[in-house]
Amino acid sequence: MKKSKKKIVDPFIFTGSMADVSFLLIIYFMVTSAFSATRGLDFALPEESQNLPEIQQEESIDVFVMPGEDLQLQVDGKPLPLEELLPYVGAKLRDNPSKPVILRTDPEGTYGNMISVFDELRRAPERFKELGLGIDNIETISIPTRREIENIWSMLGVV
Amino acid sequence: MGMKSIRGRQRKVSGEVFTTSMADIVFLLIIFFILTYTTEVDRTQVQLPRSWVRTDVPAKSAVVSISAPAEGHVIRVSTGEEISLPVNTDEEIVTFASNVVAQDPSKEFVVKADARARYERVDAVLDALKQAKVRTIFLLSEQKTVDSE
Repeated sequence: MKKSKKKIVDPFIFTGSMADVSFLLIIYFMVTSAFSATRGLDFALPEESQNLPEIQQEESIDVFVMPGEDLQLQVDGKPLPLEELLPYVGAKLRDNPSKPVILRTDPEGTYGNMISVFDELRRAPERFKELGLGIDNIETISIPTRREIENIWSMLGVV
Repeated sequence: MGMKSIRGRQRKVSGEVFTTSMADIVFLLIIFFILTYTTEVDRTQVQLPRSWVRTDVPAKSAVVSISAPAEGHVIRVSTGEEISLPVNTDEEIVTFASNVVAQDPSKEFVVKADARARYERVDAVLDALKQAKVRTIFLLSEQKTVDSE
């Protein structure tokens, strides 16, 4: 009987190109994945923008961000540094906790300044606790747009 | 001097680099990138404003971006599914946002604006979103730190 020669099977898997493929994948995911900022300040808009909340000048706290690169504030018509904003607002809210805070920004102002002020107002819970004012939060922070402000003014007969 | 000899015999130095753990490291990295992979729908380079208060933006939110004043306050919109497209007028933002809201009334919108942008442009965008009856808006920001104050 003729003895048949057994074919030798190589038991190894060729892994030489694995490094190439793996590094290609790594580089692809590194380049295309975005570590973009995925957090920010949220604000909910009123359900029905047709029914504008009734705003009376004396019944709200008016925060106005002045034009220019440097952050300058006018609160109820008077200049106020940012650090004194929450103590002022807190004192006002102690008399009437439902007072809304209206945040207006001059068209010539910068978005960054507006965010700084909005952020400060959103920090009210912790700052009020520090100040020991006995109130928890600002109930309403409203950011009306210019069109809405003009509408309110025309409703009030100012313009 | 060359290789040190022990009892006159030459010591053999292995000519290989140990690569067995490379596969582990490489696969770990691949898995990490796959899991953290998110396609960026808007590639506008902006200097985000900084804030202390930051909440998570839900994935696939619609995006409206406003570029820096030096780049001409270009406004781009995206539904959160595809790459953002530039818009020319404020009415286009209203139309875009209305379409998105019509499909999903509770869709969140992200405003990704440059901190140096004039507020007038941001106001126009917010007004357009309000007209389109958008319920929740996120103003994208970076974490404020004590150093950045």
